[in-house]
Amino acid sequence: MAEALGAAAELFFVPARLGMMLLGVLAGLVVGILPGMGGIVAVAVLLPFVVRLDAIAALAMLTGALAVVHTSDTITSVLIGAPGSAASVPTVMEGHPMARQGQAARALAAAYLSSLIGGLIGAVGLTLSIPIARPLVLAFGSPELFMLTALGVSFAGSLLGKEPRRGIIAGLLGLLLGAVGPSPAAAQVRFSFGQIYLMDGLDLAIVALGVFGIAEIIGILARGGAISERVDLGHGWVQGIRDVIEHRWLVLRGSLIGMWAGVLPAIGATAGTWMAYGHVVATSKDRSRFGKGDIRGIIAPEAANNAVEAGDLVPTLLFSVPGSAPAAMIMGALLAYGIVPGPRIVQQHLDIIYVIVWTFAAANIIGATIMFLASPALARLAYIPFTRLAPAVILMMVLAAFQETQHYGDILTLLILGVSGYMLKATGWPRAPLLIGFVLANPLERYFWLTVNLYPDPDTWLLRPAVLVISALLVFPFVWTAIQALRRRGVREARAAAVRWRPGLGTMVSVGLLAIFAYATVTALGFLRGSSLMPLAVAILGTILCGAQVIQEIRGRSVPVAEEDEAPEGATGQIVARALRYLAGIAVYTVLIWFLGIRLASGLWVTAFMLVVARMRWPLAVLYTVVTLLGMELLARVLGIHLPPGRIALPGL
Amino acid sequence: MRRAALALVVVLIVAAGLAPARAQAPYYAGKTIEIVVPFGAGGGTDIEARFLAPFYEKHIAGNPRVVVINRPGGGSILGANFYTANAKPDGLQILATSGSTVIPFILGVPQVQYDFKKWKLVKVNGVGAVAYVSPGTGIRRPEDILKPAQPLVYGGIGAANLDLAMVLAFELLGMNVRSVFGFEGRGPARLAFERGETNIDYQTTPAYLSQVAPLVQERKAVPLFTFGFTNEKGLLVRDPAAPNLPTIYEFYQQVHKKKPDGQLRWKALQALLNPAFTFQKALWVPQGTPPEVLNALWDAVDKMNADPEFKEKSKNVLEGYTLFRGDKMEATVIKSLTVTLDVQKFIKDLLRTKYNVDI
Repeated sequence: MAEALGAAAELFFVPARLGMMLLGVLAGLVVGILPGMGGIVAVAVLLPFVVRLDAIAALAMLTGALAVVHTSDTITSVLIGAPGSAASVPTVMEGHPMARQGQAARALAAAYLSSLIGGLIGAVGLTLSIPIARPLVLAFGSPELFMLTALGVSFAGSLLGKEPRRGIIAGLLGLLLGAVGPSPAAAQVRFSFGQIYLMDGLDLAIVALGVFGIAEIIGILARGGAISERVDLGHGWVQGIRDVIEHRWLVLRGSLIGMWAGVLPAIGATAGTWMAYGHVVATSKDRSRFGKGDIRGIIAPEAANNAVEAGDLVPTLLFSVPGSAPAAMIMGALLAYGIVPGPRIVQQHLDIIYVIVWTFAAANIIGATIMFLASPALARLAYIPFTRLAPAVILMMVLAAFQETQHYGDILTLLILGVSGYMLKATGWPRAPLLIGFVLANPLERYFWLTVNLYPDPDTWLLRPAVLVISALLVFPFVWTAIQALRRRGVREARAAAVRWRPGLGTMVSVGLLAIFAYATVTALGFLRGSSLMPLAVAILGTILCGAQVIQEIRGRSVPVAEEDEAPEGATGQIVARALRYLAGIAVYTVLIWFLGIRLASGLWVTAFMLVVARMRWPLAVLYTVVTLLGMELLARVLGIHLPPGRIALPGL
Repeated sequence: MRRAALALVVVLIVAAGLAPARAQAPYYAGKTIEIVVPFGAGGGTDIEARFLAPFYEKHIAGNPRVVVINRPGGGSILGANFYTANAKPDGLQILATSGSTVIPFILGVPQVQYDFKKWKLVKVNGVGAVAYVSPGTGIRRPEDILKPAQPLVYGGIGAANLDLAMVLAFELLGMNVRSVFGFEGRGPARLAFERGETNIDYQTTPAYLSQVAPLVQERKAVPLFTFGFTNEKGLLVRDPAAPNLPTIYEFYQQVHKKKPDGQLRWKALQALLNPAFTFQKALWVPQGTPPEVLNALWDAVDKMNADPEFKEKSKNVLEGYTLFRGDKMEATVIKSLTVTLDVQKFIKDLLRTKYNVDI
C-alpha cells in the first residue's frame, strides 16, 4: 500500500496535472455556489474537456471538481438561504439564521473548516478501507440496508420541533412525495395523475430548492430589508474556527457517518448529510438553538457531505456500483482510460486509486482555502437589500430546476413546492422531516420489499446480529426523547415573538394536508399489492394525525406560529399581506413562463419586480434585467439547456 | 408608466437579440449537434453518448460542436416523445435510445408516441450478457437447471423492463425460479448475488468479465449461457466477448436435447434479444434528413472505427463491441423491432399471469 501511495504521488505531483486539478476545483467551486447545482453538473460540464487529457490529469480534474462542490455550496445556503445543492439543506436550516443574526462569517468559517476536515478524513478513510472494504460492503445485506434507512428516518424524530405531531405529519408528507413515480415493488407508477412527467417521480434537487430555497426567499422578501441588518464585526472568522476546534469530535462523527453513508450505495449522499444532522440534534443536551442557528448543526453535516463523496468512491471502484450520478460519470471516464473498476482494481490499479485519494485531499485543502479568501467579499451579499438579489436568485433556481429534465413540469413543480413550502413555514410546520422522508422513501420501501421477499421466513433476517444492533440504535432516540421530555415537564419554553397567522389561514393549511392524505388513501387503495403497502400505511396514518390536528386547531387549542421568522409585534399583518403578494407574483411568473417562454417571461417579470418592488430607477432596472438574462443565456449554453419557449409562438424566442 | 413601458421595450429587444442566430456555412461547419439522451446524466446511455461526443466532433466533416442534452422521464418515453414532437430533419438533433426505449415500443405501451420506423439509424452498437448461478445450487451440467439443489432466486429491476429477456429465458428453459423485483439496477442485483441473497443472475458480458469472472475463478459462481449476438445477416451467433460460453439457443439444446425453433416461447425471447442486447444502443435522426447529412454521420462511424485513439479508448466504454454504421444495419434493426401480434400477446399474458404486470 505504501508503495502504491508513493507511486501515486509521483504520478500526481506533476505541474500539468496539478493545473488540471486546479481547474477542476475552480469549476467545482463555481457550480457549487450556484443554487441547486451539485456534483453532477460539475462533472457533466467538465467531461467534454477531459477527453483529450491523459488518464491521470482527467481523473485529477473530475475528482477535484467533485471534491469541492460541497465546500462552496455552503455560501449560497448560508447567505441566501437557497440550498447550494440538495445535500446542503441542513446548512440552510442552521447557517442561514446565523447570517440573519449577523454571524455569516462565523457560520462560513466553521463550515469550510468542517468541510475541509471531513474531506481529509474521507481521503484517509478511502486509503485505509480500499484494500479491505469488499467483505465489509458485502456484509450489509438487504435487511441491514433496510434497517439503516429506517434508522435514518428515525433521526427525523429528533427534528420534529415543538409539536411532534406536526413533525410526524411532515415526515409522512415527505414519504408520500417520495412515493410519486415508479414503485420499487411492482410495475406500477403511482400518483402520476396520468402525467408522463411524474412517471419517474419527483427530483430531489427540485424538492429541496422549492421547499427550502423558494420558500426561504419569499420569507425574506416578506420580512423586508437585507438578509442581515446587523453588521458583522469581523470576529466571526476566528469564532468559527474556534467552534470547530471545540466541537472536534463532532467533526469526526459527522465525517464517519458521511463516509459510511457513501460506502453503502443504497443510502445515498443526501441521506448521509441528514443522518449526520439528525445525529447531532439527537445527541445534544441543549436543543433549543437548533433551527435558529446552532453552529453544531452546520459542523456535522458539512463534514459529512464532503466525506460522503470519498465514501461513494468505494462501491464505485470496488464493485463498479456507483452510489451517485457523478460517481457513475467518473466511472465512465475511468473505463475510457482502460481502468475497469471491480475486484481486480486493487491488484491492477492501486496507484490510480491513490491518485484519486491524493487529488481528493489536495482539492479539499485548496477549495477550502479559496473559499476562505473569497468569502469576506461574498459575505457582503448579505447586506444588500434583498429585493435586489431575489429576482436573479429565483431565476437561477428556475434554471437549476429546469436542467433536471428540461420539461416545463420542472418549473411548475419547483414553484408549486416553493409556495407550499412557504405556507408550511409560515404556519409553523417543520420542513426538515419532510425532506428526510422524501430522501429515504425510496430506499426504505425498496429494501423493505426486497428483505421480506428475499427472506420469506422473518426469523432469518430479524435475528441477524447487525439487524439487532441497528434495532437497538433505532429504539434509543425514542427512549432518550421520552426521558428528556419527562425531565423537562413543567418547564415551558417561552415562545419567541413570531409571525402569527390568523388561525383561519393556518387551519386552511392543515385542512389542505388532510385533503392530500385522504386523497392519497383513496388512491392507494387501488394500487397493486406490493406497491400499495407503503403509500397506504403512510396515507392512513397521515389522515388520522391530520384529522386530529385540524380538530385541535378548530377548537383553538393550537395557534399556528411561524417557524423562525422573528418579527416585531404589530408588523405581522403587513408581513402576511406582503407574503401573499409575493406568492401571487410567483404564480404570475409561472404562468408567464408557460405562455411566453422563459426569456420573455423573465425579462418582463424581472423588470417589473425591479421597478415596482425594488423601486429601482428604470435605466438601472433595465441594466439589471439585461445582465440577469445574459447570465441565464450563458449558463444555459454551458449546461446544454434549451430555454423553454412559450405556448404563444414568438419568432426567435 | 411611460418609463416602465420604455424599459420593457428595451428588454424585449435585448431578449430577441439573445435568441440563437442561424449560421450560414457549409453543412455542419460551425454548427452544433445535440445528442438528446432520454435518460438522466450518469446512466449507461448518457455515459456512452458523452464518450462518443468528442469523437463525433473530430470525425464528422465540418467538425461541428457536439453536446449531450439529458431529457429523462417516464423511463425514456418522455424524451423520445419530445424528440418525435420537436426534432427537425436537419441532422442537428440526434436521439440516443437504449433497450429501455425499445421494449415499451415493442409491447405497445400506450404512452409511447414515437415510432422507430419514422427515423433513420445513425449508428448502432450492442452488448452481450451472461447468465450464471451460485455453486450452492448444485448446477454443474446444463440439465441440472431443471432440478437444482436449492430453490432458484433471481433478483431483478422489473419484469417488464430489461429483465424481460431473463424472464423469457426462464420460461423457455422451463426453469422454476422465484423472481424478486425491486432492485435499482443490475449492479445492486449483483451485490445481492454476491451476498448470497439470490443465486441466479445475469450481467452484461463486460460486467461479467470484470466483476463475475473473478468469482468464477474463486468457485463462487458458475456460468450458464450467453444471450448470444446477432450478426449482420441477422443470425444469432456466440457472443464475441465470451466465445467459450454456449448461447441460450445451444444451451436449450443441451438441456432439452432438441431445438427450440417453432415454439412461441422461443420466438418471444428472440424478439427481445436484439433490442435488449445486440442493438441496445442506437442513435437516430428523423426520416427526411437530407442524404448528404446522413452520409456525413455514417462516414463518421467508419472514421471512428479506424481511429487508433478511439479503438483504444472505446475498448471498455463500448465494451469491446463494434460500432455499426446505421445504413448497413437499419433494415435488420427495424425488422427486429417488428413483433408479431401472437408474440406480443404471449409476452403480455406471461407478464400478467406470472408477474402481475398489466400493460
